[in-house]
Amino acid sequence: MADLGVMALLLGLALSAYAAIGSVVGEKIGMAELVVSARRALYMTTLAVVIASGALINAFVQNDFSIRYVADHSNTLMDRAFVWVAFYAGNEGSLLYILLALALMSALSVWFAPKRLARSMPWTIAILAIIQLFYFVVLSFAANPFELLDTVPLDGRGINPLLTHTGMFSHPPMLMGGLIAITIPFAFVSGALIAGNYGDDWIDVARVSAILAWGVLGTGMLIGAWWAYTILGWGGYWAWDPIENVALMPWLVLTAFIHSIMVQKRRGMFRMWNVALLNIAFVLAQLGMFINRGGPVVSVHSFAASALGIIFLSFMIASLVFAFALFLWRMPQLKSDRAMESFVSREASFLINNFLFLSVMAVTLWGVLYPVFAEFARDISVSVSAPYFNRANGPVLLGIVVMMGIGPLLPWRKTSARSLKQWFVWPTLVGVLTIIVLVALGVQRPIAIFAFGVVAFVAASISEEWWRGTVARHRSGDNWPMAWWRLVNGNRPRHGGYIVHISILMLGLGIIGTNFYQQRTDGALALGESLVIDNYRIEYVDNGDESRPDRIAQWAEMSVYEISPEDYEQEKAFAAAQGSTGFTLKDSRLRENDKLIDQIRPWHGFYVDFNMASVRSGIRSTLVEDLYVIPRDFLADGRISLAVSINPLAWWLWASGPFFIIGTMVALWPQPAVERRPVRKRKLDDTEGEN
Amino acid sequence: MPIVLGTLLALVSIAVIAYPFLGSKRYRLVSETFVTREKLRAERLRIYRKITDLESDFTSGDLTDADYQLQRDQLRMSAAEILRQESGAKTTNSTRDEELEKEISRLREQTAQSPEGGDTLK
Repeated sequence: MADLGVMALLLGLALSAYAAIGSVVGEKIGMAELVVSARRALYMTTLAVVIASGALINAFVQNDFSIRYVADHSNTLMDRAFVWVAFYAGNEGSLLYILLALALMSALSVWFAPKRLARSMPWTIAILAIIQLFYFVVLSFAANPFELLDTVPLDGRGINPLLTHTGMFSHPPMLMGGLIAITIPFAFVSGALIAGNYGDDWIDVARVSAILAWGVLGTGMLIGAWWAYTILGWGGYWAWDPIENVALMPWLVLTAFIHSIMVQKRRGMFRMWNVALLNIAFVLAQLGMFINRGGPVVSVHSFAASALGIIFLSFMIASLVFAFALFLWRMPQLKSDRAMESFVSREASFLINNFLFLSVMAVTLWGVLYPVFAEFARDISVSVSAPYFNRANGPVLLGIVVMMGIGPLLPWRKTSARSLKQWFVWPTLVGVLTIIVLVALGVQRPIAIFAFGVVAFVAASISEEWWRGTVARHRSGDNWPMAWWRLVNGNRPRHGGYIVHISILMLGLGIIGTNFYQQRTDGALALGESLVIDNYRIEYVDNGDESRPDRIAQWAEMSVYEISPEDYEQEKAFAAAQGSTGFTLKDSRLRENDKLIDQIRPWHGFYVDFNMASVRSGIRSTLVEDLYVIPRDFLADGRISLAVSINPLAWWLWASGPFFIIGTMVALWPQPAVERRPVRKRKLDDTEGEN
Repeated sequence: MPIVLGTLLALVSIAVIAYPFLGSKRYRLVSETFVTREKLRAERLRIYRKITDLESDFTSGDLTDADYQLQRDQLRMSAAEILRQESGAKTTNSTRDEELEKEISRLREQTAQSPEGGDTLK
């Protein structure tokens, strides 16, 4: 199978080179056959990558350890379900996966491209083919997944234990797929600009492909956060790790883009700005590829580190030069005809939100690149950690949420004082009331209370929008559910956006809860002993061995009791005097009000071949809070070392995912064509006659 | 076997990309007329969509009556202009303006006569 894989890669290389050259030359000399042939070559590269990927997957299924990549990332003990994960577990395979995603997306987008972009398609195809060519070259000569070993081992090294998690079936492919998907809108817009198409013809294809990339990337990040929460054993979900950041940055820019493209669609403004945003997103995606592959910064994702850095750095610089040279070249033609009429309008609110998104991106970029610059310029090792990002980005992110509430209430063009008063009263009232109630309930932390107020304000503004629209439709005869459905269906991009906003609010609740109100304690328990934190008593009741040839593993059985704080007043007071939030109990006697509510089984393993520990935390999750038990170590004296935390509102982080996906799909779902007369299908006798 | 499969893939690829040169079908690059026609159609549909969104905003109370009327008329004028371009009518600037005025008046009348006072894009 290695031979087939190598042949497919080399063929793909030749085909993509032909597609790039043939497309441009055919367009320049007016040779239609060459243009069509080049487009077909692009489709054939997809087949070549599919076959190369199939060959690698087959090698994993067959345990073909003559291939170095298979021997490095699997073994006979590996659950076959993880073949898909093993496929992209290392550099070579992940690059092949990226190329596969790019080739499929390129072929589909070119096939379904609107006919009005026909004159710019040869340039779009050339850009897509050049980017594919880069990956074919890297895969063929620098990171070949089909490289053979001189001596075939009896068994492989096995898959990285951190990857043996359900989230790994979707998190890496979605992140890599989302990053590379930004190539599609970039190629279409750049192709149009090169061809001299300065109008809005590319809006729809750029918007749809950008939202797809954004949705996939966002979902991938959320799944990654869940993976980190359940497997990395540190109790958090977002560490501002460089690899997380390089996915977040293009996502932020795409978020700005999918808002401002609405202004271009509706008002014919921000054309130049939108092109710039797409360029920035594309270059940041290349930065992501570079940092992922090159490993200039330390990350929990270091399993993908390699010496490919210089190759990807060169490609990123070339992308940057190309994108901005093209932008500067076509800038004079991109100016919009219209100017903003008022700063109290929806388009102005979108502009402000764009600046806020770019601010977070810039702060994050600086945090990612500073260690690299410091090492390069001063030869010192510096790491930028979460406090910097939280302090610098926190207020701006809160500002973005505020704008999420304000923007939808403002009409396009300008807003009258009457409208402002009319539409803002209810959400503001709800926000202020929330703050008052929380203060009255004795909730601590002013910043968090304000943030809760902001969340309530935005939720009320969305409710108001839906209420107003639904009532208007109900008055014209629809029943309530149908009225709401028609409202949403009538403008899917807008109302899909509101559903996404709801998911962001849910995410916000989780972030506020876990960041401001988390409680932590730790301790070592012998069998029968308990650890008490807040309203929970966690008793260590049993343990067992689950070792396999590739790992030494133990589990612990824990009974979780809900307790009445009054029963433990004395111990709590003693622990509080020592500055601790929790304490251990030697006796297993239960107090009067202790109530068994759950059994959890955290797990701790050590993988000898990888010299790596892996844990599965015990999590009891409710709408209000998560009880999170991390088994740090099984000690020689039979005790277990535990770290326990209470993560308020953590459930909402993960519940936001389905809303995010549904909202994205609603926003993407094609609107019915607004043409209220039958469209006669014209005979397109002057087309090339095929896709 | 893998070598045979690889060779087969190469031969199929060559056949597919060579076909436009060797087959009997003749290809032509897309004409400017065709692209213009497609662009106009897309622009017209975009304007129709904008009018629908405008109606939706107005129904929801996002727009004042005056703003709604003004924006709708502007959009209808643009749509009428595109329809005229699509039909390929060649008119001088002055006659075109007159015809646009007539078209707007006709649309206004139609709106006034509509039982719900709503908008139709006929």
